[in-house]
Amino acid sequence: DGVAVLPPPYNLSVQSTNMKHLLTWSPVSVPGEIIHYFVEYQGEYESLYMSHVWIPSSWCSPAKGPECDITDDITATVPYNLRVRATQGSETSAWSTLKHPFNRNSTILTPPVMEITKDGFHLVIKLEDLGPQFEFLVAYWRREPGAKEHVKVVRSRGIPVHLETMQPGAAYCVKVRTFVKAIGRHSPFSQAECVKVQGETLPL
Amino acid sequence: QEFQFGPCRVEGITLQELWDAFWAIKDIVQAKDNITSVRLLRKEILQNVSDAESCYLIHALLKFYLNTIFKNYHDKAADFRVRKSFSTLANNFVVLLSKLQPSQENKRFSGHDSARRRFLLFQRAFKQLDIEAAQTKALGEVDILLTWMEKFYHL
Repeated sequence: DGVAVLPPPYNLSVQSTNMKHLLTWSPVSVPGEIIHYFVEYQGEYESLYMSHVWIPSSWCSPAKGPECDITDDITATVPYNLRVRATQGSETSAWSTLKHPFNRNSTILTPPVMEITKDGFHLVIKLEDLGPQFEFLVAYWRREPGAKEHVKVVRSRGIPVHLETMQPGAAYCVKVRTFVKAIGRHSPFSQAECVKVQGETLPL
Repeated sequence: QEFQFGPCRVEGITLQELWDAFWAIKDIVQAKDNITSVRLLRKEILQNVSDAESCYLIHALLKFYLNTIFKNYHDKAADFRVRKSFSTLANNFVVLLSKLQPSQENKRFSGHDSARRRFLLFQRAFKQLDIEAAQTKALGEVDILLTWMEKFYHL
């Protein structure tokens, strides 16, 4: 009967980095009209025990643009089904469902950003705040042949942490990686950064 | 952070996430529980549970919650916050259940039978109530369950 039916969004995909999950899709465009989108999800429990139950996304009911931060919706390490539909006024498109369920254990973990400073003879590290699910494994050593590598697990976020009291004239190097317990995975190590303490080694 | 229920070790669950999810629905669910004189997860069910029993008991309880309590309550949870928190609890219980492998070989020897008796106490108390009242009460008692589970959680 020639009634224009609103096309559904398409090309759904999830980009996930450091446990931040962004659902994106190709937008629906109707000249001169404002399109909104509604996102819903179901975890493994819902799809196993009650596949008719879908839950509105926390931040995208509705969404104005063709993306949705679903981080707060993905709260277990199980496969999640995700679907999106478009609305324009009273008109609603069909649902478009993500082809493959998304599991947060597939997130990309990047080497963390660190800031190495010297506070007098103290070697201090400051790590970026990636959220409560992240631990940091900090490896540091004195740059000399046969030096032993020390390891410290840091759970505090965004505040300076003392690593070592350095010897005058010595150089120390640090590298760090993240660990996410919820998915049992590490990031790669960051590049090592080295600092040197001024002054000569004092004679014993 | 991991759970160690006797021989059963489970990683990948953040207990705080479960607590946060329960706190979000606690008042709504417990307000609907009118039978204040009855407690399903009574002291004798969860008190002095040995390590050997713990894996069998938690496995039975989680299975019951998923199959009997969450399954029928989720539909009625119209309130969006309840549904979201429900989903968090239920999906993390699915992860836990999938990783709990209570040993089948030494079932006859240690822990299984006494864990079974404890679970049956819970199930019997559940069946003595009207199904909806029992589901509401059991859901409101998730804090009792989480408090007990916390004893087996190591940071």
